[in-house]
Amino acid sequence: MRLKKSENCLASEVKGAVFAAPFVAEGGRRKRRFLTDQRFGYLLLLPALCLFGVVIFYPVARNVYLSFQEKSITTGMEAHFTGVKHYLKIMTGDARFRQALGNTVYFTLVSVSIEFLLGLGFALILNSSFRGRNFARASVILPWALPTAVMAMAWRWIYHDIYGVANDILLRLGILKEAVAWLGKVPLAMHAAIFSDAWKTTSFMALMLLAGLQSIPQELYAAASIDGAGSWAKFRYVTLPLLRPVIILALLFRSLQAFAVFDLIWVLTQGGPGGTTETLSVYLYSYTFRYLNLGYGSALSVTIFALSLVIIFVILLFQREEVELG
Amino acid sequence: MKKKLLVVMMCGVFLVSMFLGSVWAQGQVTVRWLFETDFGGGWKALIERFEKEHPNIKVEMQEGPSATNIREDMYATSFMAGESTYDMAYADLIWVPKFAAAGWIIPIGDRLTPHDIAQFLPGDIAGGMYQGKLYRIPSQSDAGMLYYRKDILEEAGFEPPITWDELVEQAQKLQNPPNLWGFVWQGNQYEGLICDYLELLWGAGGELLDVEGKVVLDQGTAAVEALQFMYDVIHTYKISPPGVTTYQEEESRHVFHNGQAVFHRNWPYVWTLAQKEDSPIKGKVGITPMVHKQGFQSAATQGGWGWVISKFSKNQEAAWEWIQFATSYESQKTLHFYNGYIPTRHALFADPDILKESPHYPDLWRVQINARTRPQHPQYAQISDILQRNIHAGITGSVKPEEAIKRAAQEIRELLGQ
Repeated sequence: MRLKKSENCLASEVKGAVFAAPFVAEGGRRKRRFLTDQRFGYLLLLPALCLFGVVIFYPVARNVYLSFQEKSITTGMEAHFTGVKHYLKIMTGDARFRQALGNTVYFTLVSVSIEFLLGLGFALILNSSFRGRNFARASVILPWALPTAVMAMAWRWIYHDIYGVANDILLRLGILKEAVAWLGKVPLAMHAAIFSDAWKTTSFMALMLLAGLQSIPQELYAAASIDGAGSWAKFRYVTLPLLRPVIILALLFRSLQAFAVFDLIWVLTQGGPGGTTETLSVYLYSYTFRYLNLGYGSALSVTIFALSLVIIFVILLFQREEVELG
Repeated sequence: MKKKLLVVMMCGVFLVSMFLGSVWAQGQVTVRWLFETDFGGGWKALIERFEKEHPNIKVEMQEGPSATNIREDMYATSFMAGESTYDMAYADLIWVPKFAAAGWIIPIGDRLTPHDIAQFLPGDIAGGMYQGKLYRIPSQSDAGMLYYRKDILEEAGFEPPITWDELVEQAQKLQNPPNLWGFVWQGNQYEGLICDYLELLWGAGGELLDVEGKVVLDQGTAAVEALQFMYDVIHTYKISPPGVTTYQEEESRHVFHNGQAVFHRNWPYVWTLAQKEDSPIKGKVGITPMVHKQGFQSAATQGGWGWVISKFSKNQEAAWEWIQFATSYESQKTLHFYNGYIPTRHALFADPDILKESPHYPDLWRVQINARTRPQHPQYAQISDILQRNIHAGITGSVKPEEAIKRAAQEIRELLGQ
């Protein structure tokens, strides 16, 4: 990690020097003193910082500001200061928020675990050599390349109780006695959504992990073999530790994505049956855009933002400074 | 030298044409609205005709997404920013209270005489009102109704059902699941569920809000009975497929359209599709008002589209010209033939040309005239969501109907501060 950072610094210094050179040549000494490498570096950063300010910092700050205001259709879209009223309601008096939070946490935990285990399996298979490996690698990425809304629409029909493929196959195999409304029953709908999500994003997990696997030097396995390690021992003491940074990154990406899931749920169930698949993003969307309650919606989004930071923090706890190669 | 001259001349021509263009454009205004794709081509025909009659007004139809809630959000975003991209909106009637309460659209009722207004169907006019003022001129009507398989009922010697009990009795006798279901409707957790539910609630003498806006859902037994009926058709009488709790309009229509259901609750568009050449149920379909509880009256949920004018538009008068033109007798007739729209003027239901092609229009008029609007409250979207969650919990059996209604009424009261 540390090594990488100093490399970066070095690279930017070199670049700075190259770009600064013409100024130096033309302007002589005074200019040189004014436009030091450091200043020039900042100058180069400026456009990016401005862009960052306009598209990220300002909206977030405005959002935080709005979350302390009462601004909704009932106030005729006028804003009044209300302090922490919205936050108090979120913490104490909002049963629907608690339900949505529970749904979201459940969805995130279960879907990311399944995707991780399956993805690791796929990655290990794809990393071994076999005939048609390239074809297999290419086809794994296909589900992930589909837009979620399109894929969710297809799944909606797959789960259809009369024309759906899911029922048709299970009925033919004799596993089901009669057709099931997958998205219309209480514990089923959430798990159907998780299944669809796993179908799509396992491939993302597999690809990330595959890239990680390929960066592990083969010599280490050879050395482990000489030390008498079996395949489990190799996996446990070589593969897993060296894969750790990639695993953490993959889990971080997927957890944040799953925690913010919207499109899949919106297309499949719109939060039904009876609100049991409503996630925080769906809830937030309803408040802000459908009810036009911008104040409360902003408070909700700040809360979700804070919860996302908690997730990042928890996952990064598993990160260790350095991997010991022994 | 020649080359230089040519460049100068071209620049001159360019400048002159720019100048002329701007002078010419100053006399002309453009009015714009956002719409879905004009599949039938009726709007394009209307715009062409209008622009010929009004050379100084240009009408621009922006073709956007077909999902209505997304268009609603696009309008809302534009209006929230107070900008004048859209001079008018082609608005669903449930948008009206929200847009009016937010102060984004202007009342336009004073521009019409009572006689003008009386030409329109009452439900469509009511759907454009907010706090006693008319904000929307209706252009296209919609109302829920019961479709039935004429051939199957005739063979069995049944008259179309009028009450809940008759529907259940006939469906149980005629159905043969899973190949032929008794009754399909919209049971997914979304706005359509509330349209279906309100028809049953009203058809049992119940109300959601009273005239003063007080929640009266849990007063009397109608609300629980209506919900119990929805639960029973799935789980007790088993005349609806279990998946009806996931159906929106299209999923339920497919079942009916493929000849796999006897009764079907839906909007008028089903008729047009059922009469197509390749339709399996062509000529085998009848319509009747939605069934009601014994001793009460049928009710239909009013839907429909119409024109509102943006407060931020700089060309409100031009927009009004267009709206008058687009909602006229002739224009609605054009839209009916091109796009299959249900007109909003009484007289068109007796138009000889339309009757020749749509002989069911007198029946349809009976449905339309009974149509009622959903509560016209600026917070309707939130009220509807509370209902959706609780009604859906009721029909999927995770909460008892009494409990679901109690909770819904309590949550709506809390929301409205009652």
